[in-house]
Amino acid sequence: MPVDRRRIRGPDESQSPYHFISKESQKCLASGDRRSDDSQRGPLDIRPIFARCGLNSQAKGSAYIEAGNTKIICSVYGPRETERKDETDMKSGRLVADMRFAPFACHKRGAWVQGNEEKDLSLGLLESLRPGVCLHKYPRSQIDVCVMVLESDGPALSHAVTCASLALADAGIEMYDMVLGCTVRHTGTTQLLDPTFSEVQDDQDGVFVENQGSVTLSLMPNMNQVSGLQSDGVMEQESLKAAVQACIEGCYKLYPVIQHTLLKTVRKNAPPSEN
Amino acid sequence: MATVQVSEAEKLYVLHGVRDDLRVDGRGCEDYRHVEVETDVVSNTDGSAKVSLGHTNVLVGVKAEIGKPKPMVPDEGYLEFFVDCSANATPEFEGRGGEGLGIELSNTLVKVFSNKHCLDLKSLCISPGENCWVLYVDVLLLQCDGNLFDAISMAIKAALFNTKIPKVHICEDEDGGKEIELSDDPYDCVRVNVENIPCIVTLCKIGHRHVVDATLQEKACSVASLLISVTHTGMVTCVRKVGGGSLDPESIFEMTETGKRVGKALHAPLMELLQKEESLGSKRQKVGFLG
Repeated sequence: MPVDRRRIRGPDESQSPYHFISKESQKCLASGDRRSDDSQRGPLDIRPIFARCGLNSQAKGSAYIEAGNTKIICSVYGPRETERKDETDMKSGRLVADMRFAPFACHKRGAWVQGNEEKDLSLGLLESLRPGVCLHKYPRSQIDVCVMVLESDGPALSHAVTCASLALADAGIEMYDMVLGCTVRHTGTTQLLDPTFSEVQDDQDGVFVENQGSVTLSLMPNMNQVSGLQSDGVMEQESLKAAVQACIEGCYKLYPVIQHTLLKTVRKNAPPSEN
Repeated sequence: MATVQVSEAEKLYVLHGVRDDLRVDGRGCEDYRHVEVETDVVSNTDGSAKVSLGHTNVLVGVKAEIGKPKPMVPDEGYLEFFVDCSANATPEFEGRGGEGLGIELSNTLVKVFSNKHCLDLKSLCISPGENCWVLYVDVLLLQCDGNLFDAISMAIKAALFNTKIPKVHICEDEDGGKEIELSDDPYDCVRVNVENIPCIVTLCKIGHRHVVDATLQEKACSVASLLISVTHTGMVTCVRKVGGGSLDPESIFEMTETGKRVGKALHAPLMELLQKEESLGSKRQKVGFLG
């Protein structure tokens, strides 16, 4: 192919210039038990959460959740007739979960089309939510859960699960229990609950650390059942066990906040009392 | 996924059997089915392996190509996974039917290999920032009878063991331009260190117990399964809950423990087998696909 030599052509793929600056050696724990995101929390505290239901008037139910810089919205549509007639299940309903990142949500710009990673997260979200929803109450119908991550700072799946179950509850879908999500980052011997993006970055100084990984868990707190579990990295089984336990405790810490949000929504939607 | 219909009575039969540590095909709860591994089955690949696990049959081909390293890690090569669910395995995979399962499988493989421990990616680098080896790992499902994850991970380990990457060296001409020169000797090649590559163990929760290497029938009786990828030292590189049900925390701990034990024991016989097959060289009797 003839090349135009008079001008310098850019590369086919564009990259953000921030990838090429030298990584400052950030430490996960700055001093003492403080976390990197400058908040007052200790290693086993979750970020303060803001959650509201019923923001999208077009959807049957919706929710918004904010934890630090992670911001997620979720809408639930249905139960409605299944789109594909051949997949209609006479006995139980179908739950469809779709998780997407806004192109500007992460450090690297994403594409509008759903990538493999998003498909994987959608599947994780679906498998976490499904045990919590009474699908047998909705035969021949389909419930759609759409999650959009507006800004991502750290693993988004755990918050997406919490947000989606809030939206399902807001839509009045019958559920066995709320599903709450939590992530733990394990490095060496330290555990960081609900990590931020800088805390999940691997080997900050280019040094390979043994026994490092993240665990994301979804819990149904009243039934004490784990509905979703994913981990990556390289971990010893003992650390994995400890991380799972830390996640479960994190979910229980989250539960009162979510309960409060739901109560608030119900009070707001309830008709004014007689007296 | 290929599914089988199981009646309530059959379910109960399987459930009671598992409770008494005796499964339908006579195995105990932690036993694998008969495993057969054969490497170097496809001549056009740089490394290939066929694994049959009971009636599950997978074929893995590895092709090495020269590509550009990812800008974030200029001194490393990378692996690409693709899982094809062909309609040969089950008619449900016809058309786009197997697409969902294929994506799930390949995404899990990416997760399993996405750490620096498994494979020395730096050894795949040719010249930093410019050229590296890209290993395309293509998985073909030939027959499905449950426990795809375990069979695929074994086949990948065997295929990567078998992979021979041709040796290259970089020549620089007067203008400073670089050229990659391939070695003339076809036997002059580099092997991949597969020691730390993990094997996946899938544990199916049936009743109050869990079984490894579930057949399709057993899988239909379980609500949820946990897959754990374990290296030969017992390090866990990936855990995932699959299936529509939920698990209680206690059984998760039990399952990870079993998974670690079973997975750790899987590596030594597999490596021994691969080395033995390798040492036979051309005297090896080829079995092929219908053996």
